[in-house]
Amino acid sequence: MLFNSIDFAIFLPVVFILYWSLVNKKLKYQNFLVVLVSYLFYGWWDWRFLILIIFSTFLDYFIGRQLKKENAKYKRKFLLWMSIIVNLGFLGFFKYYNFFLDNFITAFSFFGTTINASSLNIILPVGISFYTFQTLSYTIDVYKQKIEPTKDFIAFSAFVCFFPQLVAGPIERATNLLPQFTKKRVFNNQKAIDGLHLILWGLFKKIVIADSCAVYANEIFSKYDSMNSLSLALGAIYFSFQIYGDFSGYSDIAIGTSKLFGIDLMRNFKFPYFSRDIAEFWRNWHISLSTWFRDYLYIPLGGSRGGIKMKIRNTFTIFLVSGFWHGANWTFIFWGFLNALYFLPLLITNKNRNFLDTVAKGRVLPKLKEFLFMLTTFSLTAIAWVFFRADSISIAVNYLKKLFSFNFTNGVQYLSIERYAPELMILIIIFIIVEWNSREKEHPLFGKWIYLKIVFTLLGLITLGVYSNVNDFIYFQF
Amino acid sequence: MSQFIKYLFSILLLVIGLLYLCDIIYTQTYTNSNPRNKLQYILNTEDEIFDVVFLGSSRVANHIDIKLFDSLSHKKNINLGVEGAGLNDNLLQLKLLLDKNYVSHVFLQIDFNFERTSPSNISISEAMPFLRNKILKNHLKNNFINFKKLEYLPFYRYAINDPKIGLREFFFSLFNKKPKINPSIGFSPKLGNILPLKGQNLSETIKQNNSVINEIIEICKKNKTTLTLYTSPFCSKTKNINYINKLKIKIPSLIDLSKGYSDELFFNCGHLNNEGAKIFTTDLYNATKNKLN
Repeated sequence: MLFNSIDFAIFLPVVFILYWSLVNKKLKYQNFLVVLVSYLFYGWWDWRFLILIIFSTFLDYFIGRQLKKENAKYKRKFLLWMSIIVNLGFLGFFKYYNFFLDNFITAFSFFGTTINASSLNIILPVGISFYTFQTLSYTIDVYKQKIEPTKDFIAFSAFVCFFPQLVAGPIERATNLLPQFTKKRVFNNQKAIDGLHLILWGLFKKIVIADSCAVYANEIFSKYDSMNSLSLALGAIYFSFQIYGDFSGYSDIAIGTSKLFGIDLMRNFKFPYFSRDIAEFWRNWHISLSTWFRDYLYIPLGGSRGGIKMKIRNTFTIFLVSGFWHGANWTFIFWGFLNALYFLPLLITNKNRNFLDTVAKGRVLPKLKEFLFMLTTFSLTAIAWVFFRADSISIAVNYLKKLFSFNFTNGVQYLSIERYAPELMILIIIFIIVEWNSREKEHPLFGKWIYLKIVFTLLGLITLGVYSNVNDFIYFQF
Repeated sequence: MSQFIKYLFSILLLVIGLLYLCDIIYTQTYTNSNPRNKLQYILNTEDEIFDVVFLGSSRVANHIDIKLFDSLSHKKNINLGVEGAGLNDNLLQLKLLLDKNYVSHVFLQIDFNFERTSPSNISISEAMPFLRNKILKNHLKNNFINFKKLEYLPFYRYAINDPKIGLREFFFSLFNKKPKINPSIGFSPKLGNILPLKGQNLSETIKQNNSVINEIIEICKKNKTTLTLYTSPFCSKTKNINYINKLKIKIPSLIDLSKGYSDELFFNCGHLNNEGAKIFTTDLYNATKNKLN
């Protein structure tokens, strides 16, 4: 079920009414309803893959319970590895089987050996990368005795499958989300209103910004070989805003929807395109994944404790794994590698924690230096997104070669679509201004003139939204 | 909770109110502005007499140099070819045109469009602001499964057709911006050519019958309008050009000008450039001048 679909527009109010009127008396009922509707939400897409979620839920619940009982170190380790291997095994099979097989065959053919192995027609279960990481975080935290394993199976199931964040995050930690399912939720008017505003803003980002940019980005990327440099630069910019609007829009809707049910999810984006260096960008982009890798991969690998070599090795490891997490394609791995390269100078010079505060805090405009830093960071990110968006590394390289050939003949080339590029540029500029003005808050729909802001958001949704060509959320494929 | 429900309902009311308001403003603007497309132009005509009306797709809009045809025929002609239009769209144009005007001769371009009877969303989206028009409504209601939604859900018709009649076109209509193509002339030449030409695939098989053409023939008969069916040129790289021969068997009166044009005269495989359009317009006139007089 898509957040921007009619199905969800019916599903959400029905669940909301049931939740707060029928089952609000007891915690068990609340959690039971959450599990039931979450399975319905997921099964709407493909009910067969519910089995995977249910299996993972059972496995990690019982492993958690066993970890509590076991004191022997090797047994505890065995249980931890069992959870890791089974969960990552599912992920590996469904997401990476064909990728490894193809590369295996290619590698052997390079040495003159032909292997006859046919790839499988595997459907990627939606959200598998997200809920796998979420359940793993529980088992690892229990193993590390950061949290007590829960006895309440229904609460644990609700933690694994909570529908707002089930298919595209934010990837929650058991330490934050699970305790919320062990206490009865009481309706909070202000929280619900804030949730509603966040949903509106998320929809705006998705339907107006991301989907409008998608029309142009798709057209430019599909015809990149006939485009001039200016068009290709615009293609990269449009895709940067498409992916931001799409994914942060989804996160906003997920967080907003959770608030309607009295649940607080972690923030996933903090205006990342206002970052002054790449380290700040990664602190503000897909925060739930970045911090997951930090806590469960970077730190266990030694983090920043060792020498510079170890720091570099660990940094490259998490960026490469992060790239691979996004998809079974070398383009994602290279995207991760490129970001690691961007990060390297900051790491070596120990400047990766230079910008921890909000940019231009308390000021209307940034200083020239800040502006140039933001522009540079955005440009570097947009270049990296080309690899993320392209179908292959060679296409991305050719795209960038053409972009940097500085061939501006014919100006912005005609695109065979009805909409017109200048309006989109104006829309993006307005969007940047709105986000800039609210960068010290969670979203722009707050404070003074709130009703006027809502009217403008709704007007934008009605008149500027792309309804002729409804797009899936990009991160569903991960 | 009740406070939140009240707030939620106020937002819902606001949404509904804004949808109605936008629908009214868009509709009023489109119905009262100067015509920016050929459908609007047709709807604005009344008691006019047209000697020759050309109907079809971009293969009419780009091919018939109306000023040249005027000078050759010394008649009042108009090119109503619309990019992306199919025969169903042409039927609607004809119905609207004949409702308030008199047309003595219709030239209808037929080629692979013979395979389709449904309306094209591209040209029909321009009809959306005028759903209250009886002819238009009767024509469209049988062709769209979502017609009730189009008719009754406020702003739905504009939202799903945003590339054609969205905010941008709304503002252009509001400020009466001149369209690129003057709809009262209707010729939109293609300049230059994209070489090498990529071949166009025509269908290997042909449809048994096309009910829309039959309806067009009936309407023309009823209104005493002469109907000429013709085929515009294709480039030499066109695959299955034999399709036009099969079409000629179905429609013996079809004037076939599909072959014999140098590739230099094409903008792309299915569309002549400006120079090609002039030659073709003259050829078409010569092939039909006996019928016109």
